[in-house]
Amino acid sequence: MTWTWFHRLGSPPYVYALAARLTPWFGWPAALLIIGGLWGGLVLAPPDYQQGDGFRIIYVHAPSAWMSLMVYTTMAVAAAVGLIWRIKVAHAVAASCAPIGASFTFAALVTGALWGEPMWGTYWEWDPRLTSELILLFLYLGYMGLRAGLEDTQRADRASAVLAVVGVVNVPIIHYSVTWWNSLHQAPSVMRLAKPTMAASMLVPLLLMLLGFTLFFGAVLLVRLRGEVLNRERSASWIREIVNA
Amino acid sequence: MSQFLEMGGYAAFVWPAYAVTLGAIVLNIVWARRALARSREEARRRLAMRGEGA
Amino acid sequence: MSGYGSPAAGVVAQAAPLARQATVWAGSHQAPLLDAARLALARDLQLAFRKRGQLVQPLAFFAMVTMLFPLAISPELARLREIAPGVLWAGALLASLLALEFLFRDDAYDGTLEQYALSGQSLTWLIFAKTAAHWLLTGLPLALMAPLAALSLGVSDAAVPGIVASVAVGSVALSLIGSIGAALTLGIKRSGALLSLLTLPLSLPVLIFGARATQLAISGGPLLAPLELLAALAVLGVTLAPLAAAAAVRISLE
Repeated sequence: MTWTWFHRLGSPPYVYALAARLTPWFGWPAALLIIGGLWGGLVLAPPDYQQGDGFRIIYVHAPSAWMSLMVYTTMAVAAAVGLIWRIKVAHAVAASCAPIGASFTFAALVTGALWGEPMWGTYWEWDPRLTSELILLFLYLGYMGLRAGLEDTQRADRASAVLAVVGVVNVPIIHYSVTWWNSLHQAPSVMRLAKPTMAASMLVPLLLMLLGFTLFFGAVLLVRLRGEVLNRERSASWIREIVNA
Repeated sequence: MSQFLEMGGYAAFVWPAYAVTLGAIVLNIVWARRALARSREEARRRLAMRGEGA
Repeated sequence: MSGYGSPAAGVVAQAAPLARQATVWAGSHQAPLLDAARLALARDLQLAFRKRGQLVQPLAFFAMVTMLFPLAISPELARLREIAPGVLWAGALLASLLALEFLFRDDAYDGTLEQYALSGQSLTWLIFAKTAAHWLLTGLPLALMAPLAALSLGVSDAAVPGIVASVAVGSVALSLIGSIGAALTLGIKRSGALLSLLTLPLSLPVLIFGARATQLAISGGPLLAPLELLAALAVLGVTLAPLAAAAAVRISLE
């Protein structure tokens, strides 16, 4: 098996072109899946016998929360790769992830609050999952703030990579906090490896949304990646063609 | 239709939640495209300063 | 290589003989690891005691913060006793953050940090020594001052040992976690807010367990469990934080 495809991923011009080509392959399926999930979740799925129509918030809350964790993990892995093997493209991936993750962490917190108030009587509680999700938001903001505060791109890349890797302990804490501590949050009903305990008509739109959001992340990442790759390039030759296109 | 909008009485919570999330989606699209455009502009300016642009 | 000024042999020579010995030993590959760390620790302590005014600042800040709450909220001792754990820990955390800015700043400025990194010695150990010095100069005095603040908030005498223990152990973790942020933000002007933003998320578990331990101390309950958790966090910090901080220092010096 040749590893050339892997080595090519370290080459900025190759990555730039590949990202441009792949974006629609992530973007359009994402749009279809999200629209399908919205239709299934808002219209087709029956009301929950306990929560009525209010449960439909899950179709935006769960994907947002999933995004907040998945994006951070991607960011941390890319940062670690960039730090260990000194690959600029990896740092570019990490930098691209942060704004996406931060915005969906915020969405997760807000949608969670809107779900919590009618169902469990409170917008907010300082239980382990909510608190560590809030910590995650601060980690994203700290990451972006550190990058902004360092002018030298290489130092910014490496310093923020250390931060991303140090902060990744928070991700399993968020995920497992509902099993480690008894608190307000629900026990996992979808992410269990055994059969999920939700009815199919409710579960399928959720899975569509989760997949759709994931592909959406891919599309946005690819767009941002191109810009970040450009930011790190000094050599003129391949940029000249791109810029004058 | 009105039952759909009412969301069984939870409309004040469900619709803002959807609005915030879809807002996040739109924001990400706009933000990413703007960032890419800015990077291209910077790259062009860097090339021009070095006199190598076409 | 860095923008921090020439490796200032002159500045180092002006410092105590101890400091001179530290850099000489640090450069010698034969110097045992613990000796180098011990000398780095002694150097930091000695330099800090020269600027006694600066030493007192975090403590004064802590006193003022704890004073704010009775004035801003309510002078009723019963109410103050309820919020005392939170006030003590918020004050300790903020005072610690204040002092963290100076952990690496002077050494980065005069080139000593660069010497540490370039010497054959383990940067991780030297940074651990510096962080230990920081704790001795900030965390430990805060732990000793905390009972005074607690008493002013209407807490009974019996709680004092528990309060000292929880703040002392918790501040170890705070110093260690903070050293990572301090190393990452080296040389950034006015990095105080950014340093806080980086350190707070990681130190929230310390805050949570520390406040819980202090609360149990005040109410007379068994505080062994949260105290042990605090100790566990401190041990985790001791093993991992200097590594991360050393990596961050090397990055900042590049």
